Amino acid sequence: MEDDREKILASIRRGIRGSDRISADRSSKSPLFARIGNDFKSRFAKFSSELSALGGEAFVAQTEADASELILARIEPNTSLFIYDDIRTNYGAFTSLLTESRQARFGIEFGPGYDKREVAIFDSAVSGCLACVAETGSIVMKTDMRLPAALAARLFILAKESQMLPTLDELFTDRFSNFEGSNLFLVTGPSRTADIEKELVTGVHGPKEIIVIFLQH
Amino acid sequence: MELSSRNFHDLYKTEIRNTQLRSNLSKATLQAVDKRSRSFEEVDFVFLRDEAKKIKQESISLLNDLLSQFEDKARQNNCTLFYAQTPEKANAYILDVAQKHGVKTIVKSKSMVTEEIGLVPFLTRYGIEAVETDLGEYIVQLAGETPSHITTPAIHKSRREISELFHEKIGTVLNDDPSFLTAEARRVLREKFLSADMGISGANFLIAETGDVVVVENEGNARLSTSAVKVHVVVTGIEKVIPRFSDLRIFMRLLARSSTGQKLTSYVSLLRGPRTRGEKDGPEEVHVILLDNGRSGLLGTEHQEVLHCIRCGACLNVCPVYRNIGGHAYGSVYPGPIGSLVTPLYFGEQNAPDLPFASSLCGNCTEVCPVGIEIHHQLLAMRHEIKSARKDGLEKFIFRNYRKTMLRPGRYRIMGKVARSISRTPILKNLLKGWTAYRELPQFPSRSFREIYKSGQTR
Ligand code: SF4
Repeated sequence: MEDDREKILASIRRGIRGSDRISADRSSKSPLFARIGNDFKSRFAKFSSELSALGGEAFVAQTEADASELILARIEPNTSLFIYDDIRTNYGAFTSLLTESRQARFGIEFGPGYDKREVAIFDSAVSGCLACVAETGSIVMKTDMRLPAALAARLFILAKESQMLPTLDELFTDRFSNFEGSNLFLVTGPSRTADIEKELVTGVHGPKEIIVIFLQH
Repeated sequence: MELSSRNFHDLYKTEIRNTQLRSNLSKATLQAVDKRSRSFEEVDFVFLRDEAKKIKQESISLLNDLLSQFEDKARQNNCTLFYAQTPEKANAYILDVAQKHGVKTIVKSKSMVTEEIGLVPFLTRYGIEAVETDLGEYIVQLAGETPSHITTPAIHKSRREISELFHEKIGTVLNDDPSFLTAEARRVLREKFLSADMGISGANFLIAETGDVVVVENEGNARLSTSAVKVHVVVTGIEKVIPRFSDLRIFMRLLARSSTGQKLTSYVSLLRGPRTRGEKDGPEEVHVILLDNGRSGLLGTEHQEVLHCIRCGACLNVCPVYRNIGGHAYGSVYPGPIGSLVTPLYFGEQNAPDLPFASSLCGNCTEVCPVGIEIHHQLLAMRHEIKSARKDGLEKFIFRNYRKTMLRPGRYRIMGKVARSISRTPILKNLLKGWTAYRELPQFPSRSFREIYKSGQTR
């Protein structure tokens, strides 16, 4: 089907002909957000308060064993847990502790073109992330498998202290604009709606619970 | 899309008598207004708004270049682009894509542009089921209605009405707890997500620098509509393109605060085309449809800035007119103050001649607009255009005489006497019955200020 590209662009050119090309003043350096302390502790405090205001939880764990304990305490026995490949690669000890007593399956078991229904059965998913944003309590994810994290009722995220960004200003920069792959998602608290009489309900299509664990080393 | 804005006078009169509607609306909008103002405590609204306005002005002044840049990038990311001048063309293209893939069910996330082009009814005529997956839109679709707010589509419905609707249409038990109702909708929609092959979404922003499509939402339905499908179609207006990735610093801080009083929505999806090598899911094809439908015609006119709108809905929530008559009275997919501008501009002044007058010009809308559109000035300018084009004899006669009266003291005194004497008879009341039907006509004093002053009796 022939599109209207030329017609539309010509009409745009006619419309803006003669008008000034405006360029937004990039030099304005005014801070967009109050400074958040440089150290991890103050950033974590902000992150955690934002996330818990939305109904999520944030923790700091000393070891992988501590992290796995936090998770095991939150899932019922025999619950189905989806483990993303990056967790298996980066947190070996954590992964084995988690898989020992649980019905866990790995991302690696699913190839391209997998059946959506097979992934929809997982109650929980655990994944790494690209970054976290203290200002808003957000997690930044870029995955090779979008659905498990979008469908599970509970989402666990493992993060490193170094991944914590103070504000959105640090996120929307070249460092992140050049991401590889087809997607970058910001996840800020549980999936929610207020479409019925403005009353807040969490857990609509995505996770109802979001638990972020920062590993100290 | 079906436009019934010509019947504005009949529509609003019915809606304004619906006390249930007015109570639903005032509860919801007042809460939204309150949440919005609290959410701006941490950031400087005026500073962000001015920045956003500059970026939007830049985007529109460079629209031609930015669209070409976006196009190049999106093609590099393996997206297919399609420019459509009219709704018909956009619909035909989407139908074509769906038929090529043998699609029976489409999952759709919220998009005002799809409402504008009447996509869902169009697809239905061809036997394709397009399911709205945003909860508010789903409710409205089940009810066979149209959205009455641009970010809270079912704002006009109470929980009891929704419970009865679900009971009737999807067979749930009568229970008006919003958590219960949401869970029921989730159950039905989850099945749709798992069986659909095609997803349709709008776009909040298109980034020229990277070719990204940015979709902002809270429920996770847009994330699924764009990820759990083989084919993803984005339908959006040409004015949505912004220059840089870093511009999101500004818009992300403004959009969620303005629309729902949140610092950020639950999900911001930056979508960069179909799945790449090594990715196990995500769409195999992504089509981006860029709709004009009257937008390019606004460039270079006094209404150009209407194209800056980011559809946050803040101007609806603060509007005293919207709050009393609701979205359906406007007879257009775009209601409220911004709808009163966009509707006549996109669909023709002759089709919505009364909407620019559906405002008290209080300026609340302009005050909250996160991209600094001078909404009430725009409305006034449109009124002027409409009135100058119309040959309204009586009105012109009245204003001509009013002018003369105000310029000549003798005439002013005579007219004052006439007015004072007829104000005690029903004549004036009858003459002004459009106004006096809902209000008390103020009593004129028996003597003018001048007469009192001259007589020296101040009491
Ligand atoms: S006109 Fe401004 S306030 Fe109204 S919806 Fe658009 S951006 Fe929001």
